[in-house]
Amino acid sequence: MGVGVIEVWIKYYPIFLKGALGTLEIAAIAVCMGSILGTLVAILQLSKNKIINAIAVVYVNVLRGTPLLVQMYIAYFFIPMAVPALDFLSKEQTVMLALILNSSSYVAEIIRGGINSVDKGQTEAARSLGMSSKNTMFRIILPQAIKNILPSLGNEYIAMIKETSLAGTFMMYELMYTKTLLANQYLIWQPLFVIAGMYLIMTSVLSFLVNALEKEFAKSEK
Amino acid sequence: MKSNDVLIEVKDLHKSFGKLHVLKGCNEVIHKGEVVSIIGPSGGGKSTFLRCLNLLEQPEEGSVIFEGVDITKLKKNSDLDKHRQKIGMVFQHFNVFPHLTVLDNITIAPILEKGVKKDLAVKKAMELLEMVGLQDKANVYPNKLSGGQKQRLAIVRAMAMEPDVMLFDEPTSALDPEMVKEVLDVIKSLVDGGMTCVIVTHEMGFAKQVSDRVLFIADGNIVESGTPEQVFENPKNERTKEFLSKVLY
Repeated sequence: MGVGVIEVWIKYYPIFLKGALGTLEIAAIAVCMGSILGTLVAILQLSKNKIINAIAVVYVNVLRGTPLLVQMYIAYFFIPMAVPALDFLSKEQTVMLALILNSSSYVAEIIRGGINSVDKGQTEAARSLGMSSKNTMFRIILPQAIKNILPSLGNEYIAMIKETSLAGTFMMYELMYTKTLLANQYLIWQPLFVIAGMYLIMTSVLSFLVNALEKEFAKSEK
Repeated sequence: MKSNDVLIEVKDLHKSFGKLHVLKGCNEVIHKGEVVSIIGPSGGGKSTFLRCLNLLEQPEEGSVIFEGVDITKLKKNSDLDKHRQKIGMVFQHFNVFPHLTVLDNITIAPILEKGVKKDLAVKKAMELLEMVGLQDKANVYPNKLSGGQKQRLAIVRAMAMEPDVMLFDEPTSALDPEMVKEVLDVIKSLVDGGMTCVIVTHEMGFAKQVSDRVLFIADGNIVESGTPEQVFENPKNERTKEFLSKVLY
């Protein structure tokens, strides 16, 4: 047995904190970039053009229907080989790319769902006033959809914090990677509990914030 | 109020939803200044007919000629938007914009789509709100309004675009009974002001009172058309007789 969990934390907490920061950062980049890309995909999904629509639907279904770890391996080994133009990407960046693409597929669904949750009568009222489809979307529909979209994006960030633990497999410095670092010190099980505790704290705090946001929006609805 | 100028002409209008053939070749002419009520059984095609007039429903066949232009044949969406600005519409469920104040509900379309200056749009909106007794609600959000107030807001929102015709799709059907009159009074005041109105309604008494003409639509056809006296007192068609014998008014 030797040392316990608390002692490991006391001795190595800078390493764990650095890992946790790495996790928050990787997840933030994935969700932010994923949101931009996901918004575009959502708009394509809502397109009336059948071909554009089909491409977007396939994109979302493939990324949501296959494991993230598989996508990361493909990005890590296959992309630099198959797409020479992406050669400038570091190994870390290819893994990041996989996370961004994966996140974009979930964000696309969140945004599509948010837009669809706005009553159809709102579109009809705006169009009957002679408002263009662009103004209808940006001035009438999206401002209402955002109340559903923002809390869901928060939840996506929480989910992404857990998903990024896979990135440690590819030597990216995030919380899970500290396990690998400390294994060199012959510490096998203690770091796992520290890591689990830190994930739990991060997701709990963020869940609390998202719930508060949801309540705030619900209040303004009344 | 009816003049000889044709405002809307509907020719051989067909509309289907999947396999359901809802409109089976409707023909109709609506003149400037005319008040037309549309009555008939549920599912008979009244609302669909009305919603085809501003192409909220795209008919498969036939044409809707508004102020001399066949709006079913317009190539550009922006052209359709321009025509829709002249066709006001009021919905059963109000469809006011919940994220905008009462005032912004009214001014958003004139400012964005007609380029009206903000202060002018606000001035006009306040006049309209005064007309329907909502001037002290200008800066509240619609969730603070009753159903009747929401519908009055929806009416002046449409009026702010200065339309040439107003379409009403069962404007009182979703209201509590004690709020029906305040909405009908507003519609009546538009009628008295000479506005061309097409009103789908179940309020037979109101239809009788304000209409120049009543259309009875059933099974996707305009079965009968005539003055309120002709249709209500002396219906010629069996289908009309049967319907009127079952409704109270």
